[in-house]
Amino acid sequence: MMDPMLVLQMVLAAVIAATLYTIIGVAPGTDETAVLAPVTLVLVLAGFEPIVILTFFISAIIAKKLTDSIPVAIAGIPGGVMSAPMVEHALVLKKHGMPDLSIRKMASGSVIGTLIGVPVSLLLANALAPLADEIKAFADPIFFIGAIFLALMSKNRWIALVSIIPLALLIQGLRHLYWGVGIVPEDTNVFISFFLGITIGPVILTLFELLNHDKRVSLPRYGKKEIFLKKSAQQKGFPNPFKILTKMEVGISSLTSFVGTITFFLSPVGMTILLGETVSSGVKDPVKRASRAISSMDALTNAAYIGGTLIPLIALGIPLSPTAIGPANALFNAPPVYSLEHNLHHILSTADFVWATLIGAAVALLITYFVTVKYALPICKFVFRKVPHEAMLGLLFALVLMLAYMDAGWLNIGGVLLIGLVAGFLHRLGVHYGVQFMTLYAAPWIVNNLFL
Amino acid sequence: MNHPQNNREENRNVEVWEDLVYIKELVLSIVICSVTTLGGYFIAPDESSQPLFYGLTGALLGFIIASILIKPKRIFNEVEGEDV
Repeated sequence: MMDPMLVLQMVLAAVIAATLYTIIGVAPGTDETAVLAPVTLVLVLAGFEPIVILTFFISAIIAKKLTDSIPVAIAGIPGGVMSAPMVEHALVLKKHGMPDLSIRKMASGSVIGTLIGVPVSLLLANALAPLADEIKAFADPIFFIGAIFLALMSKNRWIALVSIIPLALLIQGLRHLYWGVGIVPEDTNVFISFFLGITIGPVILTLFELLNHDKRVSLPRYGKKEIFLKKSAQQKGFPNPFKILTKMEVGISSLTSFVGTITFFLSPVGMTILLGETVSSGVKDPVKRASRAISSMDALTNAAYIGGTLIPLIALGIPLSPTAIGPANALFNAPPVYSLEHNLHHILSTADFVWATLIGAAVALLITYFVTVKYALPICKFVFRKVPHEAMLGLLFALVLMLAYMDAGWLNIGGVLLIGLVAGFLHRLGVHYGVQFMTLYAAPWIVNNLFL
Repeated sequence: MNHPQNNREENRNVEVWEDLVYIKELVLSIVICSVTTLGGYFIAPDESSQPLFYGLTGALLGFIIASILIKPKRIFNEVEGEDV
């Protein structure tokens, strides 16, 4: 039996995560990795109980995935990378004057995704566990192969492929420099701040461009962003996802959730586009097609995130999925607290995983689903009116600054800016995060073993 | 997204990461958040994870101050009726 104090902490962590990420999810342009990874990292480094951190994370991803579809439905602005494929379909519903239907369908899809994703992930993780030792023995080359695999799967595959070794050299080059100068002991790999440098790379590159006079003057200027909102009637009573979705939509969302969970090692955005378009393309009526597309897509993104986090975490302990290597990264590797040899996989029992997931998921669904369906419009208005984009960027920048200093002192702030510049430039050329994060993990092996 | 013809405010905002910012206010926000975060980190008692907690609190404080000082670059048009 679990300690009641611990359960209380878990519930509290889940409530805080659900509240925080309901607000963050609504804010436009919030990349999943950028908003989930730094906060999780800080909690890990601050020494919270592993099971509490997992509960927090599960609640956070579910809340974030539930709410990032709100701005899509209301304003046609994606609340994150994962909701971008839904914009087109949500705009159809908006055009027909039904943004509220859009929100209810998407949020209900998310609920289905969670209900399918959690049990399928737990079962699949246990099925994969016997293979874990064999997979782990090859962890280092697997990261390199993973980087190549993700590069080949991406749209700009050749630039992604070519960029792997130069980026690995930059990362290892800085590590050897720090060892040489003596600011980091030789058995320590600087990791967290490089990870964050890659994450906010696109912002760092843009900030550098703002420092160039010609660039700054030639940038397109805008007034204010105009957002159209339609007033809609408020929903009464406690919403029921099985009533909001038609039987057909429940069935199809369950199917896409299942596929999304078992393809946890593939890109969630790619799978969302592929499956969402496939299941909806045959429907003639535009409103029905759009609502089938958004409910099944939202179900899939939720399930893919849960599967991508839980399956590698429970079965392997090494981050072998785009979700695990991005937003969930701190659960696998956050030196000095967690490493690939000592992380949640090694610390928590199967029962711990189940409890953390159930409490996190239940709290997030209860709070966020209810709030989303009933108060989507006021929340959206509050965030859009009160939270300036400048404050979000400032907060991210400051967190990166602090963690860079913690890792290797003042010099590392320059190092993180350098990594951010290169990573941001590669990102702009079409090398997405997955490839860059895999390279970060594969860098020591590439430099030490590949050519020797 | 493209509404450069807005009379109430001169066109001074640029797009950074999917949303509009005014460069001077972005610099202000980065300075505020950095000072409060690092300030928290350095005044904290030097034991275990205390600096991190203080730093995080500082970060939140900076975020709130920046949100109060800076207005978002978004306008709302609430529409009644059918077509939006």
